[in-house]
Amino acid sequence: MQLNFAGREITIKLVYYGPALSGKTTNLKALHELTADDSHGRLMTLETRDDRTLFFDMLPLVFRAGDSPKRPGDRSYTPIDPTMGMSLRLKVFTVPGQVLHGATRRLVLQGADGVAFVADSQLTETENNAASFLDLRANLKELNVAVRDLPLVIQFNKRDLPAIRSDDEIKALARQGREPVFRASALTGEGVVETFFGLLHLTWSKLEAEHQLSRIIGIQPHEFVPVAARKMGIKRDVPVMLQSCLGGNLDFKAKDA
Amino acid sequence: MMQDKAETQSPISDEPLRLEDLVDREALVELCDSFFTLFGIPVRVLSKDGTLLADAAREHDLCGYINTFASGRAACGATVGAVKMSDPHEDDGTLVHPCFSGLEYRVVAIDYDARRIGRFILGPYLPAEVTDVPSSLLELDPNVNEPSAKSLMLKVPRAKQDTVQRVARHLKAALDLILFSGHKTLLTSQMHLLSVRESFRELTEKQARLQEAYDRLRELDRLKSNFLATVSHELRTPLTSIIGYGEMLAEGIAGPLNDEQKEFVGTIREKGEQLLQLIQSLLDMSKLESGTMSVRKERVRIEDVIGEVIKTLTPTARKKGVTLRLEADANLPELRADPERLRQVFINLGDNATKFTPSGGSVTYRVTTLARGSSADEGGFALMSPVRAQIEVRVMDTGIGIPENEREKVFDAFYQVDSSSTREYGGTGLGLSIVKRLVEAHDGTIVVEENTPRGAVFVVSLPVPHGA
Repeated sequence: MQLNFAGREITIKLVYYGPALSGKTTNLKALHELTADDSHGRLMTLETRDDRTLFFDMLPLVFRAGDSPKRPGDRSYTPIDPTMGMSLRLKVFTVPGQVLHGATRRLVLQGADGVAFVADSQLTETENNAASFLDLRANLKELNVAVRDLPLVIQFNKRDLPAIRSDDEIKALARQGREPVFRASALTGEGVVETFFGLLHLTWSKLEAEHQLSRIIGIQPHEFVPVAARKMGIKRDVPVMLQSCLGGNLDFKAKDA
Repeated sequence: MMQDKAETQSPISDEPLRLEDLVDREALVELCDSFFTLFGIPVRVLSKDGTLLADAAREHDLCGYINTFASGRAACGATVGAVKMSDPHEDDGTLVHPCFSGLEYRVVAIDYDARRIGRFILGPYLPAEVTDVPSSLLELDPNVNEPSAKSLMLKVPRAKQDTVQRVARHLKAALDLILFSGHKTLLTSQMHLLSVRESFRELTEKQARLQEAYDRLRELDRLKSNFLATVSHELRTPLTSIIGYGEMLAEGIAGPLNDEQKEFVGTIREKGEQLLQLIQSLLDMSKLESGTMSVRKERVRIEDVIGEVIKTLTPTARKKGVTLRLEADANLPELRADPERLRQVFINLGDNATKFTPSGGSVTYRVTTLARGSSADEGGFALMSPVRAQIEVRVMDTGIGIPENEREKVFDAFYQVDSSSTREYGGTGLGLSIVKRLVEAHDGTIVVEENTPRGAVFVVSLPVPHGA
């Protein structure tokens, strides 16, 4: 997180991690599609000729939190008006999945406030998922971050394909693990928004606990994620969306109460 | 969440970007020029702090006329200054700034990534609805001539508000695309650099760890050799006494022995000699490994050395029913070598060959001169061949032979092709390892080849010194 009081800005960095071809970029593309045009910038992809991510993809999401509604034509309205709340900048990155880009993955991971791990549901990819998670852990260690301290959600992507790990299996695994688990078909957009808001929620819980960001922004703690969803043009109810999460600890209700 | 120094330098941190870093200054000037050519409206681009980055404008005749009056120059300067300083408000990012001359400026914000990074100014242009010279211009100076001013004013490009707005929107979109591409290129190049740096750092660290491990291993190896040398030396001293006293007993110095006692003492001596030989091998090995084996080179005739070797080995060979032969070219050149070490090499090879050759077989030493390196050309052939003659000694037996995949390994210390053969043929597995090192200490090479129809050939090549 970067806090810029002078510019009234808070930047939160979210990273989509996972094995090669698990659908990280597809998640970002879907997120870009599903959010309102005025809440996101262009999706920047730094890719090689064969459509594989070379360095990263980046989707910037920007909205104002804690402000009063916009008043068109109000000349006193300037970007640095302190009464207008803070500008929330969510920067969503993907890492390159291919094994050889280890150094790049570490660079992108640096400073991440939360990580969504995009796993490939196909049975044949089980080992690659595990290897990529070990890679994540090694890179975090290199960056002096404990996996336990990092907001982390897991997405089982490609639920629309045949020969995948079964729902029952994933449910059972999710119940035993610590991380919230979401199912998705990023290609059709299913589960993408849920995963994103699950991650945002978890990340926000942590940042709020550590920095009392709600006070800085001027917003009620439990309002943040719903406000973010609204600003991003997501019509669905956030708590309902988060119910699609399997197992793990999202900590949403606990913070609410 | 990490906020160390490295992060703020990272290209993917969220530091504000500067317009001047994202666009190429000359390309921006070209873009503005083409807009000016297309629409006739002057275009200026300013960075966030007001630095003029591009200026595509030609002074209107009206402005030239106004500037002939002192008060006109002052008023014009004030207006232009105010326009340059004005910052459009956020809602639509546009500000219309009128001029006392009736003309108009439009200031448009340039935002990137939801942040203000600069602005551009369109104008002055003549708003479509203005038809008369305004009083603000006429009152500037009593000498302002209304008809002239009006005729000049009408020459200024006339534009409707929504046309200017469209032009502004178009320019903004073009700029946005340029900024996005610029940002992407900037990130790509920074990431390239950082990735290379990160990979380099990783490799350097690994390299350092390997070097450390290597140094430690070398140190351990040195300690091992030292230990071996010390222990061998310490073992040899008492053993020499044991053998010596055994000899004295056998010679009857301490009184006569009966036959059985003689036999026992004989066994003690024989086994003692074997042990001494083993210890000597270990000592040689450790000396060779630690590089403390001294090689005293002198002029040597190889056929003499091998002749002596054959004499030494003949009793054993005869006992086994193996014939020893020497086949040497005439006029062999002299070598510069340590004769004692060469003897050790060829005794070892001959002894081995005899050991593995069944009764009725033969062991042949064939000595020839080669004008150049034979089997083991180590490169630089064209340079070396005329000068570097070699003597090749082939020790050929008709024994059990050595399988091809084992031929490299036989020179490893303590290695034996078939460990079960140790019991049958004896030996420590050190002999060939020592031989190889001794040959190498003479800048020579040794390889194993197949003998036909059966058996093995050890080929020793030794360089002949210049002028020999």
